Amino acid sequence: MDMTDAGSAEGRGADATDLTFWFGCNMTRHGEIVRLTMRLLEAVGISAEASGGPATCCGSPKEPSAAINAGMAARTVAEFNARATPQVATWCPSCHMNMQDFMAPATPTNFETLHITEVLHAKRDLLRPLLRHAVPARVLLHQHIGFDGRVPVNRMVAELLALIPGMTVLEQKPLPGHMCFGFQSIPGALEKAQRQTLDAMAAVQADTLCTIFHSCHREGVNLERNNPIQVKNWVHLLAEAAGWDHHDDYKAWRNGGVVPDAAQQAAGDAVFEKLVAPELAKAPLA
Amino acid sequence: MKHAERILAESARLAAACTACGECVKACPMPAWLPLPPAAPEATAQGMRAVLLGEEPNAEGLAFVAACTRSGECSAACPEQLDVAFMLRLATMRIRGAVGEPPRVPVKDDKGWVSRVKAFARMTMTEKEQREWT
Repeated sequence: MDMTDAGSAEGRGADATDLTFWFGCNMTRHGEIVRLTMRLLEAVGISAEASGGPATCCGSPKEPSAAINAGMAARTVAEFNARATPQVATWCPSCHMNMQDFMAPATPTNFETLHITEVLHAKRDLLRPLLRHAVPARVLLHQHIGFDGRVPVNRMVAELLALIPGMTVLEQKPLPGHMCFGFQSIPGALEKAQRQTLDAMAAVQADTLCTIFHSCHREGVNLERNNPIQVKNWVHLLAEAAGWDHHDDYKAWRNGGVVPDAAQQAAGDAVFEKLVAPELAKAPLA
Repeated sequence: MKHAERILAESARLAAACTACGECVKACPMPAWLPLPPAAPEATAQGMRAVLLGEEPNAEGLAFVAACTRSGECSAACPEQLDVAFMLRLATMRIRGAVGEPPRVPVKDDKGWVSRVKAFARMTMTEKEQREWT
């Protein structure tokens, strides 16, 4: 199926859902990005379901055990097969690569896998009239080389941002890897990558860093603490141009914002103290 | 075919086709990011190939595999047109003990991962969204 066909339920009944937006596990930190992405899909006429979290994990967090990894992966493919949407659009490049390289070859799928940027980029003519609000910012697009060879996300996100009135989009020499997550296992690498990014921003007088993936966003948001910049995801910027209210809670919490009691209680006090608070308290690297 | 069997089969297939010429190592951006002395590309590639064969890798090969961040520059550089990025995915699984071999690098098992992911969902999504999306 041609990805530009996303949005057409022809032949599947008027109520058929076009696409499953598979946002992955670690995107649960960024509920507003999932919400805004669903709104963007709806705005361009694509009926979508969202799915993510451990129930539809690609298995990569359990990669050290092939048996556990495969079990999680097979369960996820079975879930998407049962949904029977003709397309599954990924957010996470790890999920995307796992689906194409390991999951689909192991368990036959009845859907096409594509990336969410491909879906929205193909519908950019429908997005353009929605983006009426100027966003006067000099935006450096944070890029990696890894996933771009499979899906040209760097170009497509730059072209989506170019739809936003008032914005200047600047590009950084793409960093190694597929997203910042990969740097974590190499001593000093994430800090080096972030310093290179800040240097690139200074060189072109950028005031906003635009992340493409959640991992880069997660690791980059607290650069705001020590630097006169803003860190936003490309979906945030499209939403801003559309005039849609949203709030990046995770960024606020990583930058010292008070976590409301309700959110803490929702997490569970013990889980919050043991598993969430240490992450939110991590100091910026640059 | 089970996942572990496929990892082993693909490892063997690709290792047999690899000449350990080192072009993938030369193309990789990561050696410049490693706190290690430079190593000969051919020896490094030989180490990666050893991992895929289930053999003891040399130190430079093991470091190269462990430092893979999935840049993918290796595949385009391979004169045999092998999917070296996929080879490295297989090799990273192997050095972490995915198919039952002793891990060759420290393996981080984030035992709180599921609980943390679910906690964030409860913090950033409405109950309806959690019910419908996760």
